[in-house]
Amino acid sequence: MRILVADDSRAMRMIVVRTLRQAGFTGHEIIEAENGQTALEIAAEKGVDLILSDWDMPEMTGIEFLRALRASGKRTPFCFVTSEGSEQMRELADASGALGLITKPFTADAFSETLSSVVTP
Amino acid sequence: MSAIDEFEEAREDLEALLIEVLGAVSGEEAMPVWDETLPPGPVVSARLAIHDEDDDSFTMVGVRTSSIVARVLASRMLLTADPGPEDLIDAMGELGNIAGGNVKSLLRHSCRLSLPTAEVTENPGPEHEFSGVTVRASLLGQVVELSVDVAEDVAGLYWPGSPAGALEIRP
Repeated sequence: MRILVADDSRAMRMIVVRTLRQAGFTGHEIIEAENGQTALEIAAEKGVDLILSDWDMPEMTGIEFLRALRASGKRTPFCFVTSEGSEQMRELADASGALGLITKPFTADAFSETLSSVVTP
Repeated sequence: MSAIDEFEEAREDLEALLIEVLGAVSGEEAMPVWDETLPPGPVVSARLAIHDEDDDSFTMVGVRTSSIVARVLASRMLLTADPGPEDLIDAMGELGNIAGGNVKSLLRHSCRLSLPTAEVTENPGPEHEFSGVTVRASLLGQVVELSVDVAEDVAGLYWPGSPAGALEIRP
């Protein structure tokens, strides 16, 4: 699988990639983006199988990214990995077509529970 | 209830939040402390604001620690033995972001969170007048502070989304 990780923090992108591996999701190609706009361009140009995206990013937020992606007709599984996890945000993520919302700080178990339906170990 | 009273009422939750975030990010056990302060020397800090658009008020969230602890955090987050200044900024910014997001979930649900900004201060001067709540934890034998305060001035902070904000959609 080709997995796109979008977060404006390089440290957090590395932690997300490590946690994917700790959750048993190994052997996948990882592509990184530092904001939603770049991530949207990568998703359009290269095609990806799963997107893990922060919510608050410069240039284009995660929810803007998701809505633009869906508006372009792409149904790529999309999961937020974000520091905010209010019920309102979860509802908005769900209504916008997200697979789920993983709250920082997270564990490998949270990745397993949320992503196992779309990622093969 | 004033905002400061609300922060004070949430003090134990803020302490628990700081302990959890530090433990998750560092892989080390953090412990609450009350009387200890940051050691002399360079300080690495991150701050971000929560904007309540209903009353146009701002809550400022800050995280501060010594450059020694910041280096350890950056080293572990970025898997590098010798993190540079940009790594410290990135790591502390993300620590601030995680703390700020959790503070927002705890205290300010329907608001907008700024992007974090972080800096290294070689010779920090006396603290500015502060009316909010600060909780402290010990990590690797040194203090990490989480502060929550009302804010009048949010200059220097950036907000997420498109530059014009036209696409900004928040719950």
